[in-house]
Amino acid sequence: MVSHSNRDLSTFYKFAALWSGQEGSLLFWSFLLAVYVISVLIAYRHKNGELMPYVGVILAGVQIFFLTLNNFVESPFKILAAANANGVLEPFVRQDGNGLTGLLQYPEMVIHPPNLYAGYTGFTIPFAFALAALLARYPGEKWIHLTRKWTMIAWCFQSIGILLGAHWAYAVLGWGGYWGWDPVENASLLPWLTGTAFLHSVMMQEKRGMMKVWNVWLVFSTFLMCILGTFLTRSGVVSSVHAFANSQIGPWFVSFMALTLVVCFAAYVKNHDYLKSENQLDSMISRESSFLFNNLLFLVACIAVLSGTLFPVFTEWFTPSRISVGAPFFNKIMIPIGLAILFLTGVGPLLAWRKTSTDSLKRNFTWPLVAGALSAVLAYILEYRNAISLVCLFLCGFVFWTIVMEFYRGARVIAARSGMSMMMAAHELAMRNTRRYGGYVIHFGMVLIFIGLAGAAFNTDVQKTMNLGDTMKLGPYTLILQSADTKPEKNYTAERMIVEVMKGNRQLMMLYPEKRQFGGRDQQSGTMVAIYSTLREDVYVVFAGTDPDTNLPVIHAFLNPLVKWIWLGGVWVVMGTLLALMPNRRAALVIAGATLPATSGVAPALNPSVTLKEGHD
Amino acid sequence: MIRRRNVFALALVIALGVLPLVAQQQQEDRVKAIGGKFLCMCGCGQVLTQCNHVGCTMSAAMLKELGQRVNRGESEAVITQAFVQEFGTTVYAEPPKSGFSLIAWAMPVVYFVVGAGLVLLVISRWRKRPQAAGVDAAAPVTASGVKISQEAMERGRAQAARETED
Repeated sequence: MVSHSNRDLSTFYKFAALWSGQEGSLLFWSFLLAVYVISVLIAYRHKNGELMPYVGVILAGVQIFFLTLNNFVESPFKILAAANANGVLEPFVRQDGNGLTGLLQYPEMVIHPPNLYAGYTGFTIPFAFALAALLARYPGEKWIHLTRKWTMIAWCFQSIGILLGAHWAYAVLGWGGYWGWDPVENASLLPWLTGTAFLHSVMMQEKRGMMKVWNVWLVFSTFLMCILGTFLTRSGVVSSVHAFANSQIGPWFVSFMALTLVVCFAAYVKNHDYLKSENQLDSMISRESSFLFNNLLFLVACIAVLSGTLFPVFTEWFTPSRISVGAPFFNKIMIPIGLAILFLTGVGPLLAWRKTSTDSLKRNFTWPLVAGALSAVLAYILEYRNAISLVCLFLCGFVFWTIVMEFYRGARVIAARSGMSMMMAAHELAMRNTRRYGGYVIHFGMVLIFIGLAGAAFNTDVQKTMNLGDTMKLGPYTLILQSADTKPEKNYTAERMIVEVMKGNRQLMMLYPEKRQFGGRDQQSGTMVAIYSTLREDVYVVFAGTDPDTNLPVIHAFLNPLVKWIWLGGVWVVMGTLLALMPNRRAALVIAGATLPATSGVAPALNPSVTLKEGHD
Repeated sequence: MIRRRNVFALALVIALGVLPLVAQQQQEDRVKAIGGKFLCMCGCGQVLTQCNHVGCTMSAAMLKELGQRVNRGESEAVITQAFVQEFGTTVYAEPPKSGFSLIAWAMPVVYFVVGAGLVLLVISRWRKRPQAAGVDAAAPVTASGVKISQEAMERGRAQAARETED
């Protein structure tokens, strides 16, 4: 309370102040984990009898670790006291707290960390199921279904958390970007990458009984990446703008990671024969191969991000100086990997399980390739002329068309049988196999995100010291500094520039970029960016302070193409995940009021009055 | 003759007016290009030309110094050396492609090459594995005369059901 809030802080942020510091955020972590644990224990109280005792013990082990931190290492309940003349601690009362850091006083502070933490803690559940199944030699493949479902829930929260973090960085920090490859951002990406790899490779196990060992280790790695990311964020090992203050928490996390690794390895050594797989492949050109390469790329991405993040630490160990690894390095490394993953996103659904014939390849690839080429040509005409962006937009067109084809083929069959419209048939198709078509919706969201990322190559910016009435040219826009005012608020005072955005002679809107001076002990200042956002581009205006020579305001304006597509893509990713989590709807026969499952193929032979009705499994 | 002189004078005026603007633009582009290779030393971890957060104590001074050096016509190598001397190797936005730092660039390539090699090896081994299927005398016979065991038939049916579901 004292460290991260004050009386003037709005209730909204007083609530969020809980997770703005080391102690409070660890307590919040324990709370979220407890919510997950209770949910699992209640949901499966009468199910999976052989598995649940192991699951309970593993979850309790993880919970005990965090409760130990809460109680003995980073307790949020310290007594406010000072030593008196005799060296005895005497409690005292402070009239007000230090207040919340200015940068954190933004609405996403209330939703971004909870989502991210819900992702991190959520990955504990699949870890517990996977380890429990291995320890218990749980028969059958049911554990993999349970693991997949809980991984998807955690993955959804992690995705939302990452995207909200990116949006927060974009809207508050004022540097015109959304992803800076900061160590803390990287830490959140690591479990997301391994989790995504698992969500793909798990299909190999379910469909073909393959890659069981690999899947178990992917789940273990995802959990370990969560702990490693938390360790990096909180121990001060790597420097970051939003890492927590250095503390003595590092050795605890290292010990916990080591213990987890030992337990996982011991369980694997003892019971690895339980994971015997039916690994057999008919052809290199098959869905299985595409999953293998997909996993390879996600793993390479994960290890590349991890080694890049830790490289400054390595340089300190082996050389006399520390070498920084900033955004330019990660961009150069990750762009080719990202494009390769995007390519496989399109290729995967076009390949058949086991073997794909040459005829099938020609038939399936022709139209997506044409769509990709048209996308690239359109991008070129619209003056998005950058080699990497053109490749990216080509692949976006390619993947988009594969998704359209998947929906079209399935919907056409349903429409022909039921007489539904194509839109209704597509909806019915998605509801009958939510997992598969939810996956395609997620892929569509990723296509939108990649379109947004492709725009980054065309970002431009202008910085100018402006007097009232001065204009600034920014691409097709003209910005006019109309006036400035000061807006006193309860917790801060905002210096506000009033900027008119014109396109030709047309007035588009007024923007109000702010510089905020916060009260509290630290007297911090911060920016509030003003954005005019369209599908084509964002006009992003920052009040960057005053010129020390003239005392006039300095306006920094950015023209960022296609950024809105990233946020729209994020919404589709979340919707797709929710769809994939829904139970499948099954067609059912309704005969004279009685409902029978339509699995025997008798429908065509029955009286025409027999109709199909949906039921849920 | 007078007309030609007028045209020449006009061209000279335009050139005198435009050339400094072109030169200034070139210098700004150079500042952006070189500044994009350094980090701001305020601790924000951002690239120097992108660091504009309120209260930054370093970026303005660093950019000013960079601008002055570019105006003096110093080469990129000289400017880089001067910045490294002043701020240390942490000023690099990306590891230099020499010495120990080369490892940072090599690692992702090594991961990919080794990983791709392993994947190809795994695929080739899995392709060589025979399908486990025992055949008995009373087994069903396919149209091409191949006998299939009941167990293999059941497994095949189950597999077909799984694979056509998704």
